[in-house]
Amino acid sequence: MTNEIDIEELRRMAAEIGLTRLDDEHLQQLLRATKAAQQRRAALPAAGLLPADEPAHVFRAERDAGR
Amino acid sequence: MSEIAFLTVAAAAELLRGKKLSPVEYAKALIERIEHHDGRLNAFLRPAPEIALEDAHRAEAEIMRGNWRGPFHGVPYGLKDIIDYAGLPTTAHSKILERNVAGADAVVAQKLRAAGGVFMGKLSTHEFAVGGPSFDLPWPPARNPWNRGHFCGGSSSGSGAATAAGFLPAAVGSDTGGSIRNPATMCGVVGMKATYGLVSRRGVFPLAFSLDHVGPLTRTVQDNALMLDVLAGHDPLDPGSVNAATGGCTSELGRGMRGLRIGVIRHFYTRDMEGDPEMVAGIEAALKVLESLGAEVREIETAPLSEWNACNRTILASEAYAIHEKWLRERPQDYGRLARERILAGAFVRAADYINATRVRGKLARAFHALLDGVDVAVTASSMDPACRIDDPEAIERTYGRQARAPFNLTGGPALSVPVGFSGAGLPLGMQIIGKPFTEALVYRVGHAYEQATEWTRSHPVLG
Repeated sequence: MTNEIDIEELRRMAAEIGLTRLDDEHLQQLLRATKAAQQRRAALPAAGLLPADEPAHVFRAERDAGR
Repeated sequence: MSEIAFLTVAAAAELLRGKKLSPVEYAKALIERIEHHDGRLNAFLRPAPEIALEDAHRAEAEIMRGNWRGPFHGVPYGLKDIIDYAGLPTTAHSKILERNVAGADAVVAQKLRAAGGVFMGKLSTHEFAVGGPSFDLPWPPARNPWNRGHFCGGSSSGSGAATAAGFLPAAVGSDTGGSIRNPATMCGVVGMKATYGLVSRRGVFPLAFSLDHVGPLTRTVQDNALMLDVLAGHDPLDPGSVNAATGGCTSELGRGMRGLRIGVIRHFYTRDMEGDPEMVAGIEAALKVLESLGAEVREIETAPLSEWNACNRTILASEAYAIHEKWLRERPQDYGRLARERILAGAFVRAADYINATRVRGKLARAFHALLDGVDVAVTASSMDPACRIDDPEAIERTYGRQARAPFNLTGGPALSVPVGFSGAGLPLGMQIIGKPFTEALVYRVGHAYEQATEWTRSHPVLG
């Protein structure tokens, strides 16, 4: 998804994920919000991650699970 | 009236235990104050005077029989309206949940009930703890008691405003990217985001599972520690809950500052963001006070604030969107403008970006905890600016992200906001004291030593 996306393209993409009831004002909000999210992604220092760097929270099996 | 309105929890507890103050008279005085002033502050979304009087009568009868339960017995408190109280709606300040009546107490409500607290009502919040201050919701936003034309911070906006206004001595809020500490700073009260998992989140409407914390707002550090002692505890039904004792949050109060090492994260408010000169001056003056009390102050450096904030916001938006997706599909028009836009930010975050944010979180947190090995606590800014006007959407937008709180939702350790003075316009200034996970008692010790050496938490707003 790029910053150059137009509102009709965004409407189509929103519909694909089930956001079919957004009106024009909501779509403008979605556009601004998505651009902000992209800026944050760009600021995330993910390039330095090594393959073995795990997420902060990981699944842990519990000894008494299912009891 | 003003004397009883600004009683601390500790002072009230002494009077109540000694039968020198009646819980019923205490509750009635605060109910009257709320009825008189809250129409201009909107700190309460739903006052509950009948419940308060019922709780107060029960407390009075128990105390008169000599059955004193502890420091919260007969003490008024309020709950941010994302926290369940059995039989009352939990609306999250949103049309979406207008008719959502809680079937049971949240764990924190259970604990305050068991401690003998007097429930005063549900407090305003930003919509779903993320969208505010908003004027397009079924209820108006809370305002700052120091100047009602100004923002009181959020999202635990009513919790901060009600505590500062003398409507109650203690309130519960929640904090995902700073939502306890922001209103604490803006309203000149004390707010603690304790270690992740120390306080149960069960019965609290989630914003972002891996970042959500529940905690106390009070007018003094000692009161805050007393309240956290009530709220903390392992909850096997909260998957994030930890089975770890705090050792008593008040255990180190009064031990002073001598020999403690403080690491100042100055680059957050001087280089990464340029803090308002009055805010910076307030923090620097506070550091001088801590030094004069015997602390060793040195500068420490962590990752740039932009990296911490990007990481927090990517995780927050993704998790929040997952929670709200169904309603955003079915009834997007029922959200206020701010909540809708902030939650929609998660709609197109890729799975890889969310997972990378959680991987970055692990690295940032480990590096930060290693940094804290060289000091006892860290100090930095909370907000970069004093409260802006509440009716200036551009100023709200401009200052909303100018904060240094989000890093500590990622590290998971305790972060306490304490008042450090006032701006020239009479608006509160604040700073954060940060510790390693489970060092709440030490963080409170530092906050308490500073508080005892200054006058800030003894100043109260005059309500017009």
